[in-house]
Amino acid sequence: MDMGEMKRKQSRRMSKMAKREERWAWLFISIPLVGFLLFMAYPICFAVFASMSKWTGMNSLVDNFCGFDNYIAIFKDEKFWKTLTTTIIYLIGIPIGMILGLLFAIGMNRKIPGVRVLRTMYYVPVVSSLVAVSILWAWVYNYDYGLFNTIYKALTGMHGPNWLGDETWVKVALVIFMVWKGLGTSIILYLAGLQNIPRTYYEAAEIDGANGWHKFRNITFPLVSPVSFYILITSLIGGFQVFVEVQVMTSTGGTNYSAATVVYYLYDKAFSNAQLGYGCALAVILAIIIFIITAFNFIGQNKWVKTME
Amino acid sequence: MKRKLTSLVLCMAMMVTLLTGCKVQKSENTGETSSKTEDTTTTEEMKGKGDATIDILIYAQDHEKAVYQDLIKQFSDTHSDVIKKVNFEVTTQDEYATKMTAAMIADDLPDIFYVGPESVRSYVDNGYVQSLDALVDQTAVSNLWPTIVNAYKYDGSTIGQGSLYCLPKDLSCFAFAYNKDLFDEAGLDYPDPENPYTYDEFVEVCKALTKDKDGDGELDQWGVANANAFGFTPYVYGNGATFLNDDYTKVVIADSPQFKEAFQYYTDLTVKYQVTPSVEQDTALGGYQRWLDGQVGFYACGTWDVAAFMDNATFPYNWDLCGWPVGPSGNGKSTAWTASVGFAISSKTKYPELCAELIQALSTDEEGQKALSGETTGKALQIPNIMDYAQTTYKEKIADGTIPYAKNVDVIFGYIEGNDKYQGLFTETTYTYNSEWWDLFLEGMPNVLSGQISVDDYCAEVQPKMQEALDNAIELQNSAKK
Repeated sequence: MDMGEMKRKQSRRMSKMAKREERWAWLFISIPLVGFLLFMAYPICFAVFASMSKWTGMNSLVDNFCGFDNYIAIFKDEKFWKTLTTTIIYLIGIPIGMILGLLFAIGMNRKIPGVRVLRTMYYVPVVSSLVAVSILWAWVYNYDYGLFNTIYKALTGMHGPNWLGDETWVKVALVIFMVWKGLGTSIILYLAGLQNIPRTYYEAAEIDGANGWHKFRNITFPLVSPVSFYILITSLIGGFQVFVEVQVMTSTGGTNYSAATVVYYLYDKAFSNAQLGYGCALAVILAIIIFIITAFNFIGQNKWVKTME
Repeated sequence: MKRKLTSLVLCMAMMVTLLTGCKVQKSENTGETSSKTEDTTTTEEMKGKGDATIDILIYAQDHEKAVYQDLIKQFSDTHSDVIKKVNFEVTTQDEYATKMTAAMIADDLPDIFYVGPESVRSYVDNGYVQSLDALVDQTAVSNLWPTIVNAYKYDGSTIGQGSLYCLPKDLSCFAFAYNKDLFDEAGLDYPDPENPYTYDEFVEVCKALTKDKDGDGELDQWGVANANAFGFTPYVYGNGATFLNDDYTKVVIADSPQFKEAFQYYTDLTVKYQVTPSVEQDTALGGYQRWLDGQVGFYACGTWDVAAFMDNATFPYNWDLCGWPVGPSGNGKSTAWTASVGFAISSKTKYPELCAELIQALSTDEEGQKALSGETTGKALQIPNIMDYAQTTYKEKIADGTIPYAKNVDVIFGYIEGNDKYQGLFTETTYTYNSEWWDLFLEGMPNVLSGQISVDDYCAEVQPKMQEALDNAIELQNSAKK
């Protein structure tokens, strides 16, 4: 047997082994892959196709193909713009929640008695069912018997606002609720971020004569920026998909649809009015909006997100 | 230790609040019946020794569900030689459409399900339901109220003609009720069921019933509470007005003086006369709850509400039925809306005959109707579907107290049968593919009722939007053929 033949045999053996390994690899990834294809890729493709049809769930999806008619209709649809505006207004809660989350986390990062109890208390809303806490807050906002208006009346002698019935106040009410609901997550994440900042940075700054604000401005804030970025991205994605709180706290999307979000409108169109094709088109547009905003965030992160390195 | 405690607290909070979202319903059946709870949907399984499995999906309130469950159990027992299992799934009315849409898309319709008169065309055109002509006893069908039988006939182009596709679950109407105790307190004569109030008379009575009982400067008792989604149309129809034109293709509210007159009157009850809770008060506590609490003199009463209102634990007041007020520009008849939903059989069921027998037990069988309308159960959940029985024995059983019912039951019969003082009409959403045009009207109504926008301006503003939604619904209706 010459050397050439031996090498060929070896390479054949190796390739057999490699093939076997590859087969195993495919087997291992096949489960998530099939899951992805079945539960993600297929529904997405289906939704994109359905968005180009006047599909009602009853009629034929293919026979009622209408090209981009649904998309054109959506851009002219007053309610779409209204719900999109409302959805964006709700996003105001994100920076408020982040600022509060950071402040609370800084407070809870100190060794004070009962800090664990406080941390737990603030995290309770996060693990609570959204439906349950929405029902609870609907009572907090009740015009006659609610907690807010009872306190307001006791203090001023006047009746408080119609939190969930007024077109403007309902937005304020929902922003407050969403900030409350999300605060626990921000606090926990910021706490983790704060605890990763080495003490030596602060000590060095103190030697240089830095005061509390300087330390926050130049050490804390930049070094928790990866956490801020993470919270911002996830909150923005979640913020565009608000549905449950609107469904539970306002009947029929609020007066004049003032509380309705894009996802609420999507559900209303698809399931209350049997316009599944239109609903799919709304979903596709929403996905594109979320994708673009997330992409911009990733592009922009270099300007403000700092790491320890 | 502290960490464990924290985890425990968080887990408990999660468990407790998760359970809050679920409405646990317990099965009242015994023996072979099992119960599963999944949010607001309950599935009951009734087992026999045969081969046939029948799936039923309907929406119902708890008390209705219990009666249907008993009827289905009886049917399963008497047909245990052919039935293997009956899956009886009950959901809420809100979730029903979603579940049916999902079932249709998955091509997995239950064997028996509800179809409303508004959906008969779509279901038939798309081949989802089968004709009952050869499956059900035609004599039994001829004994039902003609209105509800006609609502489920369709010949491929016109409703009311051709083959029968559903057996009615009921024929309901939304009558009007008054709290006798509040009338007594105010020293007022009870409403005359023979002569429903005019608009003007009604306002005067409501004014007398509206009071600040505890003297704190705020009203706490009102003449009437109106739920816009249910209580507005009787004022409109009772004034000879409609939302749509005769063939349900055009929204006519802004061009109809009769409509605007009714709408102005309805608005004045809240804004000008203040004989209803304000919009703000209504968001704090709805009219139904205020009626149950004895805070309002008049409130709507559906045929399905009677059993609850007769129950002292739910409504501890004396009450009776009366007519909705009659507008000055109508035909002089008090008008309520009527409604119905029917049992349909899937075109793909393997057991059409068995399903037909079962829906007859729920719809046309006299014993079943006696149970549902209260003769054998003491709870009047509906007016019997069998016209002859309803008009004779049923009324006698009410008169002799066997069936707990309001004394003026003829008000309901007036709306169902129609006479020179009363009429019942299906709401116009019954005739359109979806109700988006109607939802659009409702959405801005609170702004009119709080005086932020005038009736004229609102009608002019909302009409084009409603028309667009209606055009869309017509287009969908036309495309709803496979």
